[in-house]
Amino acid sequence: MYADTQNDITRQVVRAAQLLLAYGAESDLVEELSQRLGQALGLASVELSISSNSLVLTSLVHGRCVTTTRRIRQHGINMAVVCELQRICLLTEKGLYGPNDVRKRLAHIHPRTYPNWVLIPSVALSCGSFCHLSGGDAAACFITFLAAAVGMYVRLAMAAKHFNVLVNFAVTAFVTSVLAQVGFMYPLTATPRLAVAASVLMLVPGFPMINAISDMVKGHMNVGIARWGQATLMTVASVIGITIAMQLGGLLK
Amino acid sequence: MELLLKLADDAFFSSFPAVGFAMLFNVPRRFLPYCALAGAVGHCFRTLLMQFLSVPIEWATFMAAALIGIMTIMFAKRHLAPPLLYGVAAIIPMIPGSYAYNTVIALVELAAHSEVRPDVLNQVVLNGVKTVFILGALSVGLAMPSLVYYRTRPII
Repeated sequence: MYADTQNDITRQVVRAAQLLLAYGAESDLVEELSQRLGQALGLASVELSISSNSLVLTSLVHGRCVTTTRRIRQHGINMAVVCELQRICLLTEKGLYGPNDVRKRLAHIHPRTYPNWVLIPSVALSCGSFCHLSGGDAAACFITFLAAAVGMYVRLAMAAKHFNVLVNFAVTAFVTSVLAQVGFMYPLTATPRLAVAASVLMLVPGFPMINAISDMVKGHMNVGIARWGQATLMTVASVIGITIAMQLGGLLK
Repeated sequence: MELLLKLADDAFFSSFPAVGFAMLFNVPRRFLPYCALAGAVGHCFRTLLMQFLSVPIEWATFMAAALIGIMTIMFAKRHLAPPLLYGVAAIIPMIPGSYAYNTVIALVELAAHSEVRPDVLNQVVLNGVKTVFILGALSVGLAMPSLVYYRTRPII
């Protein structure tokens, strides 16, 4: 293998690993996929060092090492990208893809998201279902649905304007729980408390938390702790929003 | 009969959060029905364990999460997609939302008084411990198949 070829393949592999980390794959998957992709493309070995916001990768062929570093910027969770990268790795392993095909497909990865008019009703419906599951009556579920829909709109609007995720969560939690408190003001429902509790559940950082524990259990301690910290901060931010809303509504006498 | 009705209701309403959160994580559209199925079966199984066999909520959650872990690995092998893609969305209906909420409310109430009130402190500790244990059960349960069975080889 020529040095140029090794450089090129290493670039493809590190690009794949960078995308995986940026769009929220767990560290074990990142390590496994980039090693398999590198070996399928002809590298003798691939070693990774993953930290919370950067990535160092070394590839080895015929006793020659290439080491490269990439900065990771978190882009939010996008499972479609992770799924696409997994597929590229598997097709390369089966011998269907060479380095050029991999480069072409990597260049064509675009993080597509669901449009807002689909996302808002479905998340609001999820929160309504949470309310029903925890025992709320129909009126409480409806209040939850409306509050969560407005909250989700605020969250998406703030994300589009590139606000810090913590500020975003605090403001969203505030708006959502102010609206959900309507059940306390007027005698619409017998279970007003459940409506408030269920409507802010859309802010649960489910993926960061599961990824964090999964990373720590599988031995990627530093990334796991970083993700845990991020998830905790997100929770604390939403708690601040809820608290301000409750003091405004006079729920805490 | 009543139990069956309760389980059907449970399964139906827990499939919505699974799909809603799967969309939040941008899971491709063709996988959404599988997220819904895994979420519904998991939550239904937990309710069955809790109501019928009166298993404590932590253990029921752990077993349901492990069941979801096994199911999602079967899906993952069929579609060649990472198992967490289905798994995280499927466990969302079991997130201890109301426990976490009660913990926080009690915590804020604790700070509002001039001295520590035992009844409020009780609420904080009780709900907080439940929240932490259920969360731990969820994530470790979900990782169970890869910890027990797929120790040295990749899943797909």
